[in-house]
Amino acid sequence: MIDNIIIDGLAFALPMFIMAIGGIFSEKSGITNLALEGLQGVGAFFGAFTAVLLMQQFGGSSQVPYYASFFAAILGGMLFSLVHVLLCIKFKANQVISGVVVNILATALTSFLTKRINESIFGKASNKFVLGTSARFSVPGISRIPVIGAFFRNVYPFEVIIIIIAVIMWYIMYKTPFGMHLRACGDNPHAADAAGIDVNRIRLLSVIISGGLSAIAGMSYAYSITANFSPDIYLGLGYLSIAALIFGNWSILPTLEACLIFGFARSGGQVLIQQLGMPSTFNDLVRIIPYIVTLILLVFFSKHNNSPRALGEIYDKGKR
Amino acid sequence: MKKTLIRLLGGEKLQMVRISLFSIFISLLVGAIIFLALGKNPFSAYGNLLQGSGLFLKQKYAGRQNMFTDFMGFLDTLTPMIFAALAVAVALKAGLFNIGVSGMMLAAGFVSTITVGYSSLPAPFARPLVLIIGIISGALVGALIGWLKYKFNINEVVSSIMINYTLMYIFTFFINTFFLDPVSRQSVVITEEARLTLVNIKALGLKFDIPLAFPLAILASIFVWYLINRTTTGFEIQAVGLGKKAARYAGISISKNMILAMTISGGLAGLAGVTYFCGFNASIQPGVVPGMGFNAIAVALLGCSDPIGCIFASFLITIISNGSIYMSSQQGVEIEIADLITSVILIFAACSEFLRIYIEKISMELNDKKDVERV
Repeated sequence: MIDNIIIDGLAFALPMFIMAIGGIFSEKSGITNLALEGLQGVGAFFGAFTAVLLMQQFGGSSQVPYYASFFAAILGGMLFSLVHVLLCIKFKANQVISGVVVNILATALTSFLTKRINESIFGKASNKFVLGTSARFSVPGISRIPVIGAFFRNVYPFEVIIIIIAVIMWYIMYKTPFGMHLRACGDNPHAADAAGIDVNRIRLLSVIISGGLSAIAGMSYAYSITANFSPDIYLGLGYLSIAALIFGNWSILPTLEACLIFGFARSGGQVLIQQLGMPSTFNDLVRIIPYIVTLILLVFFSKHNNSPRALGEIYDKGKR
Repeated sequence: MKKTLIRLLGGEKLQMVRISLFSIFISLLVGAIIFLALGKNPFSAYGNLLQGSGLFLKQKYAGRQNMFTDFMGFLDTLTPMIFAALAVAVALKAGLFNIGVSGMMLAAGFVSTITVGYSSLPAPFARPLVLIIGIISGALVGALIGWLKYKFNINEVVSSIMINYTLMYIFTFFINTFFLDPVSRQSVVITEEARLTLVNIKALGLKFDIPLAFPLAILASIFVWYLINRTTTGFEIQAVGLGKKAARYAGISISKNMILAMTISGGLAGLAGVTYFCGFNASIQPGVVPGMGFNAIAVALLGCSDPIGCIFASFLITIISNGSIYMSSQQGVEIEIADLITSVILIFAACSEFLRIYIEKISMELNDKKDVERV
């Protein structure tokens, strides 16, 4: 029972974690990014489309579509994040409004294109790309250990990808000059500019990074929770990850804790429903848990957070 | 090019209105390009949108229907849209971004449905009660969001999204467990007496619906306009929205005004909810967050968050969303294209502030050049 909580919880928490890292990159550079929700959906759309195309070429058992889909998702997410960049940096729009606009555009665009593509390329009327859940693997040996072994059992391959990328991202953020410049841009862009850093370029890069990372999350959810790409992918998980990074005080490791809490709260509730043999309608009540947990955590942790000081401010050189 | 832009959009008089019209024009142009790319005639597609909304004659009608029937149906969807847009606009005035309109609409619709909608109250009591309960339930959700923002510094966007999904799943659970109509897979239809729209009225040889709350929507816009522009409360709300520090320095209570603005916004969203779920519809579909709450953001931005502007903006966006059903059947285009055009309008509306500053800049540059030439 505890094993199931851990296995499902991780599969939910890790994609959220990588998306939250994307959010941290963007917000640490000073750009409020509510667009994560839309970016993960668009990423999943590009990835799922690629996967469906390649599955026809390679057949169902090949691993090529799986990895290609993540690659396509990252590219798609980065590409679409340019809309947010354009609105926030070039057109100096309000960043909160821009984020919401990007999300609305993402939902409209991907649902339109999915229907269109299904009709014109695959010749069927449907609003989804069916992927199925991805295969899982267990690490031999370690996975037999009780409780701890569950962390290594029935693992989705994307969880490994996420952990590797998360480590790289942590290194970039805290150990490289780029990471330091990025954090400087979020706290005091004028000082950063005086030090010779191109603020808008750094912000552009960090929003693009957040697009790519959110796309990985979207694709992971498309291969696990929803098992397809459809408008159902817009579940508000992007907003949950923003809540996670606020709770994690805009730094990467505490954010991981927040994501794990969401994940285990969700899977714990599901296991409980199964154990008590309640009817399936009770699943709707379980789905509330991550949202409620988020709200409660925010109540306790929002008051004393120190967000990047220039978060949400449009960078205006003339103000220096 | 620059000169025409300045002539069109420069100057102070009604500048925001002209910029809004300009962004709508550009968006429709983008939409036309999408239609052309799909191999459809954009003029007939846009014409279909107007026909579907009863603003233009269709070629043929079903029995006992004509343009008036379509137009009344159009007003029926327009009513909740105006309320929802007003809700967003009031919150924007206080510097708050109310993305929780959908959740408030659900709350109002659900509570009114199970209390009044399933009771046997006669119409003269039931209908006002539906409105009042709707206002109260929406306002409570709004007050909660405002309170969380003030008391715990929780970003209102994040908290309203959480509340949207929480409410949606709670109501989904209750509808699926207690109030489900097994045939329609929606909640059981409410009584005729409680419904805010009179459906299938037969008169003048026609059959049509009458949205009773439509005049109320217009009155609400005027009321909100008066409240914001002509009262102390409205002034204080605007002051908080324009600058919190300055407002506090002037002795204006930020907490009170933020919570008040969210409560008013919630009440309006509640009206949108009851006119949508107990008027336009008579039942609630479980598992769905109504998209109208999000479209309302587009409408409010487009209407320059001005209550009267909201009426006109609602009119336009509702033409697109309401007419899209007819357009999609006539042109064989996916119905989602309506949302696509709406979101393009939204993008250009988000840039309107930039456009205003840009116009100011180039007109100043032009004036400088003239001065230099004169010297």
